[in-house]
Amino acid sequence: MTRLLRRTSARPAGPPTDGGEAPEHPEETDDTPTEAATEATTEATDEVAVDATTGTTVEAEPTAQDSDRSGDGDGEIPTDEDGGAPADGAPRGFPATWRKVVLAAVVAALLLAGSALFHGAHQLRSTPAARNHALTDAGATARVGGDVGEGLARIFSYTPTSDDAVERSVGTVLAGRAARQYTDLFAQVRAKLVEQRVTLSTQTVRTGVIELDGDSARLLVFLDQTSRRDDARQDRATATSAAAQLTVTARFQGDRWLIVDIKAR
Amino acid sequence: MTRPVRTPAGIRPALAVALVLTLAAGASAAWAGRDWYAAAHDDSAGYAVQRDEALAAGEQAVQNLNTLDHKRVEQGLDLWESSTTGELHKQLVEGREEFTGQVRAARTVTTARVLSGAVTELDDRAGRARLLVALRITVTTPDSKSTDKDSRMLGELTRTDGRWKLSALGQAPVGGTAAG
Repeated sequence: MTRLLRRTSARPAGPPTDGGEAPEHPEETDDTPTEAATEATTEATDEVAVDATTGTTVEAEPTAQDSDRSGDGDGEIPTDEDGGAPADGAPRGFPATWRKVVLAAVVAALLLAGSALFHGAHQLRSTPAARNHALTDAGATARVGGDVGEGLARIFSYTPTSDDAVERSVGTVLAGRAARQYTDLFAQVRAKLVEQRVTLSTQTVRTGVIELDGDSARLLVFLDQTSRRDDARQDRATATSAAAQLTVTARFQGDRWLIVDIKAR
Repeated sequence: MTRPVRTPAGIRPALAVALVLTLAAGASAAWAGRDWYAAAHDDSAGYAVQRDEALAAGEQAVQNLNTLDHKRVEQGLDLWESSTTGELHKQLVEGREEFTGQVRAARTVTTARVLSGAVTELDDRAGRARLLVALRITVTTPDSKSTDKDSRMLGELTRTDGRWKLSALGQAPVGGTAAG
């Protein structure tokens, strides 16, 4: 009977320190499991420290334990519990406190293990190889290759009659630095193209995605550019082909990939 | 009267808190463990590693095959052979004798620098990949004149004994469809 009482009365002694913080854990784990895991471990280690210190004080001074217990019980604990405790409370105080320490240690160990595994998973996913989705995401790789290849062919093709069309398509293909580069370049070249009646046609020969990370990508593109000059006599057209290697930086904006930078290789 | 009711009621919140705490910790650990397992056994991660290995090996092999010093032909051609496999390797071995003579007669030094490269296809299981490489080749003639030439190449890689090696290499054709 006294043993049962001892246990039941000893239980509430420690937890109030836990009890203040503990209800937060389940809520946090429900809302944001990822953050909760890391936060919980830091709290858990604090709790262990608290428990450990109370544990040692409890072991050292049995009388201090009693005063704690009566304080935690909100003063409503029957007097015979207080009276009974000092008699045999000191030697039997160990199992209850140890149980608490073990429980706290288990919780701490679980939280530590959880956050270690979580951290490990994050590390595995954030290696440079894993972050680059070129080819691993076949759909996105094909998409960016298609958009960029088609866009380059469009803006680097020119016929004297399609002047406006090229101008219009620039906005749907280029953005940022590439758009400025292109406008500057084309302003210089256009006069000459019109004067010499040159037709430029560009084909994308090969497209390779070097890097694809979210909404930004880098590509290597091989282009063929054929310029044809129409002489006064229509049947004598002269054509020259040139090879171009470009590295292109593209960014996904709205519903398609826009070229933001072009470097000739 | 009060004691049998009060004492269990006093236990319950503490016990419940301890139980919930333990369960929450256990659940989060289990969840993190599953997450880690999924990440560690992710096929696409292994595929990504193969892609990067193929690219690195391919770029190096293409550079090797465009580098040759007439003073160290044997050494250079050994490197060529160790960078290749399959049909390309066979061709190099067969033509070695003749080629050595040509290079020694021309007395040229050729060096190459990879400007950019990308893998375009990768069959992880079959151990095959294709890549694009943009290359700058510098040829220095005996009279110390050097010329730069930009080149674009298509390569095919085959994995042999866990290493990626070139099994085909060629220039990307220019103006193939354009009518002269």
